[in-house]
Amino acid sequence: MRPLRRFLKRLSSWARTQQDEERLRAEIEEHLAMQTAENLRSGLSPTEARRQAVLKFGGVEAMKEDYRAQKGLPFLETLAQDTRHTLRRLRKAPAFTITTVLTLALGIGATTSIFTLVHAVLLKSLPVANPNELYRLGKETRCCYQGGYSQEKEFSLVSYDLYKYLRDNTKGFAELAAFPAFEPLFGVRRAGNSEAAQSYPGEFVSGNYFTMFGIQAYAGRTLTAQDDRPGAPPAAVMSYRLWQQQYGSDPSVIGSVFNLDDKPFTVVGITPPSFFGEALRNTPPDFFLPLNAEPFVEVDADLNKYDTHWLDLIGRIQPGAKPASIEAEMRVELKQWLRSHWGEMSANDRAKFPKQTLYLSPGGAGITSMREQYEHWLQILMMVSGFALLIVCANVANLMLVRGMERRRQVSLSMALGAQASRVVRQPLTESILLSLFGGAAGLAVAFAGTRLILHFAFPSFAGFASVPISASPSMPVLLFAFVTSLLTGVVFGIAPAWMATRVDPIEALRGVSRSSERTGSVPRKTLVVFQAALSLVLLSAAGLLTAALHNLENQDFGFEQDRRIVATMNPRLAGYRTDQLSLLYRRIHDSIASVPGVSSVALCQYAPLSGGAWGSGVWVDGQPPPGPTDDYFAWWDRVTAGYFAVIGNPIIRGRGISEEDTSASRNVAVINEAFARKFFKDEDPIGKHFGREPGASRQFEVVGVAKDSRYVAHNLDKPIGAFFFLPEAQAEYARSNQGSLFLHDIVIFTGPGPGLSTARVREAMASVDPNMPIISIRTLREQVAGQFSQQRLIARLTSFFGVLSLVLASIGLYGVTAYNAGLRVGEIGVRMALGADRGDIVALVLRGALMLIVLGLLIGLPLTFAAGKVLGSQLYGMNTYNPVVTSVAVLALGLSAMLASLIPAFRASLISPLDALRVE
Amino acid sequence: MSQMKEKMDVLQGTLALMVLKTLEVLGPLHGYAIARRIEQISGDLLSVNQGTLYPVLLKLEQEGSIASEWGSSENNRKARFYRLTRGGRKQLQAEFRGWEQTAAIMGRFFVLKEEDLK
Repeated sequence: MRPLRRFLKRLSSWARTQQDEERLRAEIEEHLAMQTAENLRSGLSPTEARRQAVLKFGGVEAMKEDYRAQKGLPFLETLAQDTRHTLRRLRKAPAFTITTVLTLALGIGATTSIFTLVHAVLLKSLPVANPNELYRLGKETRCCYQGGYSQEKEFSLVSYDLYKYLRDNTKGFAELAAFPAFEPLFGVRRAGNSEAAQSYPGEFVSGNYFTMFGIQAYAGRTLTAQDDRPGAPPAAVMSYRLWQQQYGSDPSVIGSVFNLDDKPFTVVGITPPSFFGEALRNTPPDFFLPLNAEPFVEVDADLNKYDTHWLDLIGRIQPGAKPASIEAEMRVELKQWLRSHWGEMSANDRAKFPKQTLYLSPGGAGITSMREQYEHWLQILMMVSGFALLIVCANVANLMLVRGMERRRQVSLSMALGAQASRVVRQPLTESILLSLFGGAAGLAVAFAGTRLILHFAFPSFAGFASVPISASPSMPVLLFAFVTSLLTGVVFGIAPAWMATRVDPIEALRGVSRSSERTGSVPRKTLVVFQAALSLVLLSAAGLLTAALHNLENQDFGFEQDRRIVATMNPRLAGYRTDQLSLLYRRIHDSIASVPGVSSVALCQYAPLSGGAWGSGVWVDGQPPPGPTDDYFAWWDRVTAGYFAVIGNPIIRGRGISEEDTSASRNVAVINEAFARKFFKDEDPIGKHFGREPGASRQFEVVGVAKDSRYVAHNLDKPIGAFFFLPEAQAEYARSNQGSLFLHDIVIFTGPGPGLSTARVREAMASVDPNMPIISIRTLREQVAGQFSQQRLIARLTSFFGVLSLVLASIGLYGVTAYNAGLRVGEIGVRMALGADRGDIVALVLRGALMLIVLGLLIGLPLTFAAGKVLGSQLYGMNTYNPVVTSVAVLALGLSAMLASLIPAFRASLISPLDALRVE
Repeated sequence: MSQMKEKMDVLQGTLALMVLKTLEVLGPLHGYAIARRIEQISGDLLSVNQGTLYPVLLKLEQEGSIASEWGSSENNRKARFYRLTRGGRKQLQAEFRGWEQTAAIMGRFFVLKEEDLK
């Protein structure tokens, strides 16, 4: 207790220093006065009495020092003193201070803004109660459907029936909630409102979803198990975002009816503002509906299909329950459930039965598909910005070293006068930490702007939709990160100059500094330049590799034409169309748009190339044995209207494309791509062959044509184009199941030569068909394709930015070192010139020193660039990680700027007049 | 350096105890009076460095053993008076017992003769 009390007293008395000094002075004065009075009484003369009193009292200054040491906190006092002193010194050198703070702000800001993203995407938990109690099913995230009774590697998606089985039998979970692995769009219209339907994302969730997360409604109530029963009155929870932005936080929204895909739902509550569902997504859901409402909304409901697995699970475990034992329990339950469906299982499913298992993983971050998607490039960016920060540190360290050199005389003088080494070290260290803290503070502004910019490019948002729930404004962990980074930066670049400061010989103070310091200090500075050159080379070649990879991606043979093609996106489902109305609707849209002036031809399809969507299916080929448990029989497919291949510019290699002759009355046909032909027909001629999409239906489609391979799916850009088949819209089975695939989304428009098409005219043409059906987006096919690479473009540009930044900084560093060293060698140069060296010799002399450093940096950097290529790996989309062109360009860029940076001081050195130079001596 | 500090600490410890005892016996006193009393009793311990008393007073005050306030001295001068607090009284008693024990042990040691240890 007592030491604590003493510390607090000291702290408070440190704050009252002035007052206490006064008190002590008064007390001493009083003491001396009394002693003097007494001495006077014993007969001493007044002068002698005073002198004796002072003698007896002892050294006043020593006592005061002792008293102060007792009283305050000497450490804090020195710190405050150093800080004041440093601030004064920094104010006296504004150019140095501003340059340093700006450089640091750039480095720290860039690193912090990348960290903001890393924190939001990779580190943060969901904003729910006790996220560490949450566990989810599956090690990896999967989308969107799994059929049958077996899943590869792990059972991670479940059907509603399996969910109920697991929920009711697993005792270790306090709550186990389910929701689909995808997020449908709903056409939303407030009941009684005549405006066109707006599309918003929503999701179906089990009744205990909000209870499981521990989420209270912001207004109204959340969904409960009562809402999630067959036949319960349809209830919905709206997002705070939509409520606020679209309905102005109108309280009457709660309790009113909204039509979702033309089905009435009563909004019962609003989610809290921070809640964005169970996953970080580009477009967070705006509606939460009970799972049991799914058959009410979807024509082709999945809820009651035992073998359609479409639900993700997250549960909150009972306090004290062990996840490992819950996992074991659930594995047994999975096997039991599968066994109870033995009769319905296919031979393949039965063969795979022994291998079926499941895993639980921590679910505090929710469904982490975005984490998996962005993890690698965030790591790369973090590394790149870290490198850039190191280069910034090196540069500032260089500046500090120069400053240290200039202070040598002063430092050696203080050392000679008996200053403590620790005190001497503390000063430059205080200066560097202070500078980096300023840099960090300024860096926060840079970080805020940078994060906003990156968010804008990395997570494109759509008008009217919620944007990705990542805030650019720094959070507590981000602030902490920036602070710690600044502190570390300060220590890193301050330690060398501080150390240099103590290595001063006091005797130097008495000599001329310029003579004795010739060599000292140049080694650390040279090392820093070599280090910078090596890092710059790594960054430059990483930037080069990424840019080259992006160039390859953008200029690959997509298999279709991008010029003069426009894609308009719609969603007939949002306007409440039934499937039996679709064929006529498509015909009318086609004719209406085709009549717009400037339009050459039009076709509709489910998904245009690289639009972000596609359907997949199994393939059963006629005349071949059905696929076994390990066979890959997967293909992507698309539904298109007549003339589609000509409109999109996809050449037909054999046979014919989809045409007007394919009607509901004619035989069912399909056009396949080359990859499909290779995969399923090997060397045989595919024309006239048959295949189907279901077991036992292998004569479903007849192949009538082969189209050139074209890139439709964006998520596997580094892989060869996969098998793909196209079906005519006219032969769609409008009466049969799988209705989702009947809704076509994209209208591809081939425009005539000449001026561009007016998008307003296209919208008018659509409105003349149905004013209630909005065009969601309209853009050129080129823009749509480019949009697929925005992430790659961003990472390539950011890395290039860091690369150029590091190049500039390294050049400045080299310039500084060369100029400084040349300055130190003025005398030597003078002697050389006097002895007959000409200007060329002097330039060569200075250049040789500088270029040695760069060559050394290159030698160290080259092996590192290969390592960097390895790290980039998959971000290069199959490009060779060793690219001699990129490496040579990087080497050349570095060499040239180094040359430029050292030529200037070299020329300046050669202009010295020998007489002047010798006079310096 | 460390030797010097040790000596200082011993001195300070002893001085602190003397200050507390003086205040217990004589009641509130100002710095000069305390110095005088200690000087009278202990001889020349303080005759050279009266100033060292003030850091000790400060430390004791910070520890809560004594308290101080401004008052006026016998010849009507402004002076800072120190008085013993309740905590100080307790501390004094505890330390006094400690000293007594130490002194007793040391005393017994010094009267020892060779045959006592055989």
